Amino acid sequence: MSLLQEEREIILGNEYVDAFDFAEVAEFVKNANKELFISHHFKNKTGNKMLVQPRGGFPTYKQQYALYEFFVEANVDVLPLTIDSNTRLNDYGTAKKMLRLSEENDMDMLNGYPLITHGYRTTRKMITHFNKPVSLRHGTPDARLLIETAIASGIFDIEGGPITYLLPYSKNFPLDKAFLYWKYVERVCANYSELNEPINRESFGPLTATLVPPSITIVIQLLEMLLSLEEGVKSFSVSFAQQGSMIQDVVTGAVLKKLAKYYAGKIDCADAAIHLVYHQWMGAFPTNKDYAEQLINVSTVIASMVGADKIITKTREEATGIPTKEANAKTVANTQYSLRILNGLPNIVDEEEEEILTLEVKAIMEAVFNDPADTLWRQVFNSIKNGTIDVPFSPHIINHNEMITVRDAHKNIRIIERGNVPIPDRCYEYEKSQCDLAKDTTSIVNDIVHDIGIMQ
Amino acid sequence: MKVVTGVVGNDIHVVANRLIDLSLRARGFEVFNLGVNTYLEEFFDAAVETGAEILLISSLNGEAEGWGREVKPLKAKYKNIDDLIMMIGGNLVVGAGKAEDIVPRYKKYGFDLVCHQVDLNTGLDSLEAFIERRNAQ
Repeated sequence: MSLLQEEREIILGNEYVDAFDFAEVAEFVKNANKELFISHHFKNKTGNKMLVQPRGGFPTYKQQYALYEFFVEANVDVLPLTIDSNTRLNDYGTAKKMLRLSEENDMDMLNGYPLITHGYRTTRKMITHFNKPVSLRHGTPDARLLIETAIASGIFDIEGGPITYLLPYSKNFPLDKAFLYWKYVERVCANYSELNEPINRESFGPLTATLVPPSITIVIQLLEMLLSLEEGVKSFSVSFAQQGSMIQDVVTGAVLKKLAKYYAGKIDCADAAIHLVYHQWMGAFPTNKDYAEQLINVSTVIASMVGADKIITKTREEATGIPTKEANAKTVANTQYSLRILNGLPNIVDEEEEEILTLEVKAIMEAVFNDPADTLWRQVFNSIKNGTIDVPFSPHIINHNEMITVRDAHKNIRIIERGNVPIPDRCYEYEKSQCDLAKDTTSIVNDIVHDIGIMQ
Repeated sequence: MKVVTGVVGNDIHVVANRLIDLSLRARGFEVFNLGVNTYLEEFFDAAVETGAEILLISSLNGEAEGWGREVKPLKAKYKNIDDLIMMIGGNLVVGAGKAEDIVPRYKKYGFDLVCHQVDLNTGLDSLEAFIERRNAQ
């Protein structure tokens, strides 16, 4: 038995799992309907139609089923399955208790679907019934059991990664452990991919959604992509969220697509399919629900300009709490409508901005690859530890927090303090020249507060 | 002067924490930032370890109320921090509350300076004024 299989048996021997049948699951994936695979939809999209995916997860099977009915009615392309926070932290005992309370009292005691508690046999019934691709949304540093259960349920689009699911969410979960746990996930996804259409992996580009400059976003997207492809994953989505400036989004999308192809080719993985996912605004939303809808609509326009393969939507209730299924379905229908009427988009290119951003990304990537460690994950780990990669507003103790960013007059995010990140001097001077730096720090802090909340 | 700062309890509101750090540095303080999700013991340990003159605790999700009562008994267990300037700021109650009720309550918990929903710069101005007054004494 391989080491991986030994580890799988330990993981699936968990007391909260009801007799995992490896052979039956492999047989299920092998014969699963192609409609369940997002990789199949990416390959066969008609006229480059952007896939629309909302967010959403409810505690009980019944509620989740009802949510999916609403989504299908609204002409959804990809269904979401958002996992509750107890399951994300591997606390299956609490998830089980809270699910029972939710079922008995008709009151939501969980902020998502506790997949381990429901189990794959039950969940698979729902997913094969709707026969649409489902995307797993979580935020779990150790997602080994979760991903096994998801694939066994028929969920073949798996979001997350060791960096993007850790740095925005955790203060002190050990980053080196997260790399190893995700290595397991990549291998399991790669192995199942040989049986049918490929399992798609997706990175979480929004990170902290707070003034993260595009160079940092792109570097982390590329590194998680490489960590995935080197384990044999054949379909991968890089992603980022609306940044606040239309031209910066267009430039980010162009550079990310170009460099993803470039770096995949460099490790002989040019055969892998790479897709681009765009998140509607992930920062603080306006409380005025009509304004929220306008913001969502503008996001959809930008996603089209960027040429995204999939868009992940928000709702008009974003500022007020967990959205209802009605609001969620409404956003899907509205977004589909916007996409239908967005025709004849101009092709906008900003060569100077593209060049600056490309130089920045390549310089950081080179510094990562020059780390003396013997494996890519260790190089990335060291690079985060020594501040070569620095994510603004990450709560994690390993993050340096030396980089400072503000918005320029056009709302582009600019680096005014690079910390240890090897931003080339020419690019650094260019970034700073776009901003008014004559101000004292107190005014800059006030600017930052304003820049974070621009959409409110 | 040395300041120990951080967000108390199971509170992951990192943005304000970074801005406090940045603003304190801009005003010339030496900052030891413990970040989010910090327990009371960690604050006092850090104050002893760094020899800080100021402890600035922030809270946004309102759970400071629960921790507040433990400040005095815990602080009494430590030596050499009797002169530590104790400041707390942010959103200090769950739900709505009036500053005129909240401030005296937190002063009783052992804080010298209490800023409930006060603008960051105003809060730090009051800290500097407090230090000046104390030095003049």
